[in-house]
Amino acid sequence: MAKNIRAPRLRISRRIKKDQVFKIKVKFDHPSFTGLGIVDDETEPVFNRAIPVSFIRNMLVYYGEQLVSRFRMSSAISDDPLFTFKLKAVQEAPVKVVFVDNQGKRWETSKMIKFKK
Amino acid sequence: MKKLSFILFLSFLYVFLALHSSVAATVEENFKIEGLISPASPKALKAALEKKLQVKVLDLNLKKTASGWPVLTVQFDSSAVTKDEIEQVIAAIEDPAGHKFKVHHGPLLVNAALLEEEQQAESLLGDAVEAFPQMKNPITDKVASAERGKGMYEKNCAKCHGLNGNGYGTVAHGFSTWPRQLWAWNNTGAETDGYLFWYITNGRSDMPPWGLILSENERWDLISYIKTLRNPAE
Repeated sequence: MAKNIRAPRLRISRRIKKDQVFKIKVKFDHPSFTGLGIVDDETEPVFNRAIPVSFIRNMLVYYGEQLVSRFRMSSAISDDPLFTFKLKAVQEAPVKVVFVDNQGKRWETSKMIKFKK
Repeated sequence: MKKLSFILFLSFLYVFLALHSSVAATVEENFKIEGLISPASPKALKAALEKKLQVKVLDLNLKKTASGWPVLTVQFDSSAVTKDEIEQVIAAIEDPAGHKFKVHHGPLLVNAALLEEEQQAESLLGDAVEAFPQMKNPITDKVASAERGKGMYEKNCAKCHGLNGNGYGTVAHGFSTWPRQLWAWNNTGAETDGYLFWYITNGRSDMPPWGLILSENERWDLISYIKTLRNPAE
């Protein structure tokens, strides 16, 4: 479980041809917690609000200027998730992935898609 | 006299040593590892204990224990290490993220307001439609239609929306949101037909798209019945 949040990282193959369907991997170190836990206050353990709720709420994928995909998540998402999805290489443009967590904080990462000649 | 006092001294020394050895000696103790997070790595737990304290981990039984919780058997010198110290090390390893499980009284910010970027994405790729279709229930005999809809409601809808439409169905406890209170549509006019038909057909949140399961006439029968449901508190 990530103690600290680390900026998201994006991995794409270097050998992409035009109109090829390629794979994108995004890793984001972010804790995920429902906020509920066993509260042991030197009394009987009770299931209650233990720590603040924390999870990734949205992942938006842009290809060039266009929003191509939106992943809506809940606190059921794992800690430090790794997302893998596919895109069709239709243009030489940057792929940008934006993360927003439940507190409204925003992170982004991007990489340029260049076709192999 | 000297001999007697010497014997007394020896016997006293013997008793003292025996008592001392029984109080402070190498002992084996079982520690029940309770908590939300079980030890992620038995190896890490063992290493941390043996590194931080002068103890020897004999066994970590993760599965077949009487209490159901993992049990750790530790051998230690009770004069050098106390049980509390061992429990502290176990607690630190059990919860590597350092959460302190005490009731959180701070502001409960489960979901902050959507950012502008998210709102744009929602309007582009979200599942809500901008305008619901203008439709009217084609079935004219509403009483017979509601009769048919009642059976279907009890079979398909009541487990989530409740028998009287109050939204507290038996399986609704596991959902992210409570199902709608359907008596809110009691005696509403034809203007709500399209809205209800769209939601029943396409589903929303935890509700499946009933358009795949029920025929169009069956969905209209359901709408006729939903409009007869009354607030149980009335």
